[in-house]
Amino acid sequence: MTPAQLWSAILSLPQLVLMGLIRLYQVTISPILGPRCKYYPSCSHYGLDAVRVHGALIGPVLAAWRILRCNPWSHGGIDDVPAKGSPLFRRRQETSTETAVSLSTP
Amino acid sequence: MFDTIMYPLEWCVANIMVAWHWMLTAVGLPSDSGAAWALSIVGLVVTIRILLIPLFVKQIKSQRAMQLLAPEMKEIQAKYRGKKDQASKEAMQRETMALYSKHKTNPFSSCLPILVQAPIFFALFRVLNYRIEGVDEAKPIGMLTEELAVEAHDATIFGAKLSDSLIGTWGDGDPAAIIVSIVLIIMMVATTFITQHQITRKNMPASALEGPMAQQQKVLMYALPFIFVITGPNFPVGVLIYWTTTNLWTLGQQYYVIKRNPTPGSEAEKAYKAKQAEKAKRKGQVIEGTSEDVTTIEAPEPRQRQQPKKSGTRSQRKKGSASPNQQPKDSQDKTSADEGEKKDDDD
Repeated sequence: MTPAQLWSAILSLPQLVLMGLIRLYQVTISPILGPRCKYYPSCSHYGLDAVRVHGALIGPVLAAWRILRCNPWSHGGIDDVPAKGSPLFRRRQETSTETAVSLSTP
Repeated sequence: MFDTIMYPLEWCVANIMVAWHWMLTAVGLPSDSGAAWALSIVGLVVTIRILLIPLFVKQIKSQRAMQLLAPEMKEIQAKYRGKKDQASKEAMQRETMALYSKHKTNPFSSCLPILVQAPIFFALFRVLNYRIEGVDEAKPIGMLTEELAVEAHDATIFGAKLSDSLIGTWGDGDPAAIIVSIVLIIMMVATTFITQHQITRKNMPASALEGPMAQQQKVLMYALPFIFVITGPNFPVGVLIYWTTTNLWTLGQQYYVIKRNPTPGSEAEKAYKAKQAEKAKRKGQVIEGTSEDVTTIEAPEPRQRQQPKKSGTRSQRKKGSASPNQQPKDSQDKTSADEGEKKDDDD
């Protein structure tokens, strides 16, 4: 193993730890709580993807923002992790567009 | 750093407990009794859950429109009938979720409220394990003075201290603490299971009970007691009391909803309607009257929101709301097709 490889392995460690923690939550605590997420993919699944795609720094921020959005005032729906390079916190269009459209349908 | 994050939460938890303890002693319970301290944990649950009631009310309201999407839900189910591969399962879940958000309704209660409670639960864990200790070891916080912390530490309920855990007392061979812990663990498992069962089996529309996610949850629900058998022995008696009480509160809340305000399309709603019909029959009223009443309260309002300009004149609209189920099917299909087109345009 070259030093560069070792270095990248160390750097990806926090990411793996976070993903492990989310998996742990999914198999232990999540079943106790039952299905409750309003979104697809669910918050924990989203968090897992977010950390996998965006790493241990941005991933958790995205996940936290998602959990804050998964509240009784939201309407849920489809909400995938933004692809790498695309804007992270853009206003989601699904619900708002649908609402606007259904209001303006003649 | 972790201690700094937890400090304000522990402060809140300790102060709420001391406040309840003060009230309970004012009512006449001995200050150093286990009952006063155990009930102050119950009081902590009551305080938190009362604060969370607005969230609960909002959640119930967002489930009201579930009935309206039944036709579209049936279409989705028909589309994926018999398809068992992973991709179809995911696509079906996606479409179902998109349908919920389109109608601004959702059978699920959302993640935030439970995650708000998790740190409180953890703070209580820490208060019981590290702050409420014997003389010289107690760490006072807020109104929880050293004196009170020692008192809470020495207080026993049926012979068990609030900070005793099954793992901690097993070696000592103190039978009272072991029995209390085991009884509480069993109660915690039972109440969690019943709550789960009640919410998923009774108060979810049939559509939300189908699909791979629901199936997986069902399996996990039955595996749940085993998880508690592993984690339970680590919990101090006080935490077990907290968990059991919060489950009982949830159970009560759900019972109220199931009896008075069931989710449209669920098993609980069928029972509710049957009961209403029976009541009406006993009073000599017309049965259809009551059942129609239920639909007219729920149906017209979101329907108008969905397509307000279509309804035409006021009298026409009235006529429409009187028979909400007789809406021609093709007009609905047309609307959704229009929406699809519109959406593409917008993008």
